[in-house]
Amino acid sequence: MKNVSRRAGRWSLRSLAVGKLYQAAKDEKTGFARSLRLLRSWLSPQQRVQFDTKGYFDVVGCDTGKRYRIRRGMSANVHEIDEYGRLGTGRCFVPLGGSPHGDVMLAQKIALETDEARALNIANSFPGPVTWRLPRLSSERRSSVRSLSTELGQSHQ
Amino acid sequence: MATQIVMDHSGDSRHFFDNSKADGLAEAERLFLEFTSKGYTAAVRTGTGEVTRITTFDPAAEETLFFPRLVGG
Repeated sequence: MKNVSRRAGRWSLRSLAVGKLYQAAKDEKTGFARSLRLLRSWLSPQQRVQFDTKGYFDVVGCDTGKRYRIRRGMSANVHEIDEYGRLGTGRCFVPLGGSPHGDVMLAQKIALETDEARALNIANSFPGPVTWRLPRLSSERRSSVRSLSTELGQSHQ
Repeated sequence: MATQIVMDHSGDSRHFFDNSKADGLAEAERLFLEFTSKGYTAAVRTGTGEVTRITTFDPAAEETLFFPRLVGG
């Protein structure tokens, strides 16, 4: 448990640091900063707010109407989103020639919003994040599991 | 002043032109054809912030963005 919370703390620190880096780059004249400024100017107002507060923005595919989440990054940063807002299959496609982060995200946004079918055809797919859930048991099954665990506990004593 | 923005490794490079003058438009159209023939995708923004992909030169566009061909990552 301790390890899990320590790991979670490390991840939140890392994302905080990355967020600060993106914030600091806003006013710089580097390619990285220029690409972020270009991206922000081409985002819709809702997408801009989402990107500034959460570090990602959602787009709607023009052909299927599916929603996609584009996270900060240069590869493996696009995921489908289901109707519950959960991340699904990932899509990896980038503009040729090693563009900076903001340009990559902007090209991905435009491709999905204006020519989704072609973008998906080009993209390589990868599985979405795995979420672990406790299975939902019926009340009957729950009571049988409980009695079994009680029996096992008694036999061990 | 209208702008053509071309994505590159340094972020982007920009070409400004006066879309009320014939020579400015001719140069802009030449650049449009040059980049689209290289496989670049051209997109313009509408007033409401919506993005549209274009395949022919739009002389009325205030800002046209070109990004390189997409490849699977």
